[in-house]
Order: sequence, then C-alpha cells, then structure tokens
Amino acid sequence: MSSSMSRMAVATVMAFSLLASACSPGPASEQAAAPAAAPAAQTSGGESSGTPLSALAPENIAKARPPAPFDVTGNWFIDVSRNPEAWRFGPPYPTLTAAAKVHFDASQKAAKEGKVYRDDIGQCWPAGLPLIMTRYWPMAMVQIPTAIYMISGFMNSVRIVYLDGRSHTDPDIIVRTFNGESIGRWEGDTLVVDTVGFRGDHHWMDQGGASIPAGEQLRIVERIRMVNGQLEIEYTMTDPEYWEGEWKSTKRFNRVVDEDIQEVSCLPDLNEHLQSTSSKTQVR
Amino acid sequence: MRKVLFGCVWALVLAFAAPVLAHHSPAAFDRTREVTLVGTVKEFRWQNPHTWIEVHVPDAKGNVVLWGVELTSPTYLIRAGWKSNTIKPGDKVTVVVNPVRTGEPAGIFRKLILADGRELTERPARLGTPDSK
Repeated sequence: MSSSMSRMAVATVMAFSLLASACSPGPASEQAAAPAAAPAAQTSGGESSGTPLSALAPENIAKARPPAPFDVTGNWFIDVSRNPEAWRFGPPYPTLTAAAKVHFDASQKAAKEGKVYRDDIGQCWPAGLPLIMTRYWPMAMVQIPTAIYMISGFMNSVRIVYLDGRSHTDPDIIVRTFNGESIGRWEGDTLVVDTVGFRGDHHWMDQGGASIPAGEQLRIVERIRMVNGQLEIEYTMTDPEYWEGEWKSTKRFNRVVDEDIQEVSCLPDLNEHLQSTSSKTQVR
Repeated sequence: MRKVLFGCVWALVLAFAAPVLAHHSPAAFDRTREVTLVGTVKEFRWQNPHTWIEVHVPDAKGNVVLWGVELTSPTYLIRAGWKSNTIKPGDKVTVVVNPVRTGEPAGIFRKLILADGRELTERPARLGTPDSK
C-alpha cells in the first residue's frame, strides 16, 4: 500500500504541475475566451462521438461554458478559531439506526474506559469524505473549467469534482472509493456537488468516541460558496442504512497563503513507532 | 478568586478540546496528566505526518524503559523553531508528555528540554489565520 500511495503522490504532483502550466484557473472570462476548438461531434456532457472525454482533455477544457462564479484554487484549512472541535460533523448527530447504534454505543463505552473504538484512520485507512475535508492539514485545490482537483495535506488523499456536465457512473460498474464520485454544477453563486459511490467498510463519519459508520448508500451534497474570503460548505448527508433523514453541518475554511502541502504517506514504520496506535487503548 | 477559578475551568476546556494533530484519534491520551521523562534519545524521526522521539528512560527499579513520544508534523514544528537535527541519538533530554491511559510507555508530546536548558514546544496548529505566520 505504501508504494502505491507514494506513486499516487508523485503522479499528483506531476498533475498539479501540468495543470498549473497548461490550464489557466483564472477568471471565468478567460475560460469563455478559450479557443472554440471543440469538434462538432462533441456533446454537452464531456463526450465526443459517444466517447467520454477526460476532464484534462484539451478539447473538453476548451469548450464554451458559462463563466464560473468563483475560483477555489488555493490551499484551505478548516476554521477552528471559534471551536477547536469544528473539524467534527457532530454533535448534534441524527437519529441513528440500530445498525449504527451498535458502533456508536461501543465507541461511547470505549471512551469512558479511556479507549478508542475502531480508529481505522489511525490504522492508515483513508479518512474519506466527509472527514478528509477537515483534517488538521491544509487541502490544496486547483480549479479548471472541467474539474476541481483536491489534494489533502493529510495522506495526499485525492478528490476530483467534475464540472464538465457528466453524469454519475453506472452503479453496476463504479469502483467504490472513500472520497466517492463527485459531480458539481453551478446554481447561481453556489457550486452544488453531489457525491455517491462510497466504500462502506472502514469508513466513518466521526473519530474519537462517536463512531458512526459510512455505508455504500451514503450520499453527500455540498453547497459551496465564497463568503467574505472564506470557503463555506454546507453539508447535507444521507445514509438510510445508518441514520434517519438528513445530517446537516456547515463548515468554513480559511485560505492558507504561507504553506504548501507536502508528500505525506501512512507508511508501515509510522505506527510501528507510535505505540498508541497498537496499545491496549485500541478496541477493534 | 473568581478569575482563578475561571482560568482553571478554561484550561480544562482547552485540554479536553485539544485538536486532532495526529492521524489517529486523540482519545487514547490522558490530557489531564503529564509525565516527565528524563532519558537518552534512541531515535528522532523527522517525517510526515508525524515526527516521533524514542527515548530510553530509567525507571525507579533501575530498568531502562523505551518510551515512544509522538509529535505533530514538521510543518508545525518548524514554525515552533525545530530543525531535523534539534536532537539526535545519544542526547540527554527531558520530555514532558500526556501519557496513554493504559499505563503503557507512550505519550503525546508537550515539551522538550534540551541539555543546555532550551525548551521547545509545538506551535498550535492553526493555519489560515494571522497566528500562523
């Protein structure tokens, strides 16, 4: 796992470099002024003659689109100035199903005993959405007309939000992931991102005494706005397997201008030297 | 008196609200207790997402116990004045930690005192604010 993660990090950095040089993430007016090189056979959904176009395909990037209301390119860090626990998405928590309550109660019991229940992130499993957005490491974002590429400073986890009009992948063939498949569309001054296709194992909605699983039915809708220089994301999360109704939470992120993300991997020797991750405090 | 009481309560609130600077849950550590380790550095690893110190500490029975101390990432330590060669194997150090709750020889870092008396801590990790510069 470690070598593949390292390769991913290198590929990610290379992709960043290519994006920076080849794709202007600048004002929307520049996007609209891009050469109208799209072949006549292209459709409106990032496809050419039925063949899907990559978000990085030059002819996809060059397609005429309405101006993007804002550009998220930059490094962002969860705003914890008013509440150091703002990285969490609860409490309050929604009404849990019996399937979730088993885990939640076990984690509460463990916490009272000074222990930690199924801390998969600590065992190097990906944090996944939504927690990956609020780790105590910055999130680098690069926006181009067809997508937003996000790379977390935590384990270099990659998330791509497609803006090129494509639909979600057929559930029968989608490869489930911890960050899911994100499709965004502009609604006025708001970017609405719909994410599905999550993995339902080793994936949690909280960490440290409030273990609520994230299942394959998880759907996360983010309404993203730029408010007074902050990135505001309103989360609406549903997963009928584990909770009732909508779980809502709003997060704000500050722009980081004096720090870049680095290569970060959860290597085998990390936890070998951090006794707390293998101590008797850990409950599996 | 009231101010003192308020200060104590606020300190407790901050202690329990310690942010997740680790890749794992912070619940394993007892933030209300501090243990002072006086010993010899076995290893200091400067890497992401955590740095760590392993230190040999003689106990009351004359045994040498290997303690594992975890720190935040170099990004934050650099802001607090650390370098990759701040300590090296063989250095005599004093390290203050919040220990794990089970009594095992492991803890999360609070303060380092070098042989020459210099003290180093971790800078609060709050990027994206004027405090981060």
